[in-house]
Amino acid sequence: GPLICVPELLPCERLFGFVKMAALLELFCWKGSWGLPSVDSDSLVVLAYARFTGAPLKIHKISNPWRSPTGSLPALKTKEEGSFSHPSKIIIHLRKQKYNADYDLSAKEGADTLAFISLLEEKLVPALIYTLWIDSKNYVEVTRRWYAENISFPLNFFLPSRMQHQQLERVRLMRGDGALEAGEEAEKELYRDAQECMNLLSQRLSSNKFFFGDSPSSLDAYVFGHLVPLLKIKLPNSRLQQHLKALDNLSNFCTNILSLYFPSEGQEGVSRPASSSQEGSDFDHEPYKRRKQLLSVLVAVAAMLSYALLSGIVAIEHVQEEGPARGAASIGPAQEEEED
Amino acid sequence: MSLAAEAFVSQIAAAEPWPQNATLYQPLREDQILLSDCASSLAVQAYLRMCGLPVRVCCRANAEYMSPSGKVPFIHVGNQVVSELGPIVQFTKAKGHSLSDGLDDVQRAEMKAYMELVNNMLLTAELYIQWCDDTTASEITRQRYSSPYSWPLNHILAYQKQWEVRRKMNAIGWAGKGLEQVYEDVSQCCQALSQRLGTQPFFFNKQPTELDALVFGHLFTILTTRLTTDELSERIKSCSNLLSFCRRIEQTYFEEDKDSQSAGSQYSRGPSLF
Repeated sequence: GPLICVPELLPCERLFGFVKMAALLELFCWKGSWGLPSVDSDSLVVLAYARFTGAPLKIHKISNPWRSPTGSLPALKTKEEGSFSHPSKIIIHLRKQKYNADYDLSAKEGADTLAFISLLEEKLVPALIYTLWIDSKNYVEVTRRWYAENISFPLNFFLPSRMQHQQLERVRLMRGDGALEAGEEAEKELYRDAQECMNLLSQRLSSNKFFFGDSPSSLDAYVFGHLVPLLKIKLPNSRLQQHLKALDNLSNFCTNILSLYFPSEGQEGVSRPASSSQEGSDFDHEPYKRRKQLLSVLVAVAAMLSYALLSGIVAIEHVQEEGPARGAASIGPAQEEEED
Repeated sequence: MSLAAEAFVSQIAAAEPWPQNATLYQPLREDQILLSDCASSLAVQAYLRMCGLPVRVCCRANAEYMSPSGKVPFIHVGNQVVSELGPIVQFTKAKGHSLSDGLDDVQRAEMKAYMELVNNMLLTAELYIQWCDDTTASEITRQRYSSPYSWPLNHILAYQKQWEVRRKMNAIGWAGKGLEQVYEDVSQCCQALSQRLGTQPFFFNKQPTELDALVFGHLFTILTTRLTTDELSERIKSCSNLLSFCRRIEQTYFEEDKDSQSAGSQYSRGPSLF
C-alpha cells in the first residue's frame, strides 16, 4: 500500500523557510474527503488546534493506521518523549512547546473549556459514533465504503469491520449498556443526548464568532472537530445532521473555521464532488476492480485444481494419461486386466 | 421505552404528588458500598433535600441488581423506579420540583457542562482508583464489593466487575494513565470547579442547583472516605472554597437530623471504606 505523504506548510514556515524543519514534530492523521481536512474527529481536533496556534508540524495524512507510530490515528511523533495518540495529550504537548491557543483565557474560561469538552465527550461522542459506525445504512453506504476504498489492499477487507466492532464496544462501555445494538431505542436515547448537547453549545456560542471572543481556543478545536464531519458527510440516515443544520450559529461556526483555517480543503471540496469524486471513483478504481477480479479468478482456479489434485481425482488424471493411449493401442489387454 | 409510553409515564408523574413513602435504595453502607456509588447516592440525597422532597434511605445488598439500569442509587416513588441523578432530576421536574428554573439559557448550558465535567473526571477517577489501582482493588474494593456473597461467587463477581471497569477505561483512553496522572486530572477538575464557584455560596449564586448536589456528593464522599492513601482527598483540600462549600451544604441540608440516628449522623461520621 502506498503511504500518502502530504507535508503541509503553514504560512509562517513559508516565510522562514526550512530552518526549523529538522527538529519539527510529525503528526500522523487520517486523510481527508468530502471537503474535510480529515475524515476522523480526533484528527480534525488536532489539525484545527495546530492551525489555530500556527504550530509547525510535518503532517502525514495517511489511510493506514498501522503506519502510525502508535498504531492508531492521530499520533504525534516527538524526538524526546516518544509518540502519543490521545488528542488531549497531543494538545498538552503542543502547549508545552509554547503553541498555546488558550493563553489569553481567564481561569474561569479555562474551567469552562474543561467542562464543555466533558459535555462533548459524554453526550455527543456516543451519538456521533452511532451515526457513522453503528447505524447500518450509514455504515454500509458511507463509512465502510470510504474506509474500504481508501485503506490499502489486504487490510481493507478486515480493518473496517474491525474498526466497527471496536466503536460499538466503545459506545457500549461508555454508556454502561453491554447489550446496546443498532435500533430505534438506542438511536432515540443517544440522539436525544446529542441534540441536547448541540442545543447547549449553540446557546453558549450565541452570536459570537468563537466560544471565547475573537480568537479560537482549544474548545473551538474540539467542537469543530466533532461537528464538522456531521455537516459535510452526506449520510442516508441524517436525523442528527438535520438537527445540526437547523442550529444556524453552530453550523456557521463550523463552516467559518473550515474556510478560515483550511482554505485549500474548501476548494477541493467544491471541485471534487462535482467532477472527480463521482466519475473518478469509477475510473480510478476500475484497474483495482480488474485486478481484484483477475485475482479472485486465479484464486478460484488454484483452489479447484488443488482440490482436484488432492482428493483422488488424480486417479482420473492418471487414467486419462494412460487410458486413451492404451485404449487407442488395444482395448483387449485392458479388459483382460479388469477380468483378472 | 417507546415515545408514547414515555409521555404516558411523565403524565402520570405530573399528576401524582410526591408521596411520603418514597424510598432510595443503595448498597449496604457499612461494609459493601464503594466510593463511587456512595458519592452518587449522596448526590441524589442532597438533591432531594434541596428540593424539600422526603426520602427514606434503604440499604440492600442486591441494590445493584434491583436497579432497572444496573446502576445505584435508584428511587422508588409511588409505582415508579428511577435510577441515577440525571433521570431523577427529570422525574422531579415532571412533578413540578425543579432547582434550575431560574437560570437563563447560557447558565443552564454551563450547569449541564459542569455536571458532565464531574461525571467525566471525578467519577471516572473514582472508578479508576477503585478498580485499576492494584493496591486499592485488592485491599478494599474487591472485598467490599463481594462482601454479601460466599465463595466462589464473591471472587467471580468481583473479578467480573473489575474486568468490566478496566475495559471501560481502555475504551475511553484512561487505561494508559498512571495513578499520578489520574490524581493530576482530579486536581485539574477541582481547580476548574473552584474557579467556577469563586466566592459565591453556590455555583449559580444564591440558589442551589443539581450541580451543587452532584459536586457535594462527590467531594464530601472523597473527603470523608479513608482509602489506602490520602492523596485523593488532599487534592480537594487544596481548594479552600470547595471545602467551605461542602461544609455549608452539610450544615444547611444535613444538619437538622444530626442528633437523631438517621442519615445525617452517618454522614458526619463519614461513610468509610474500612
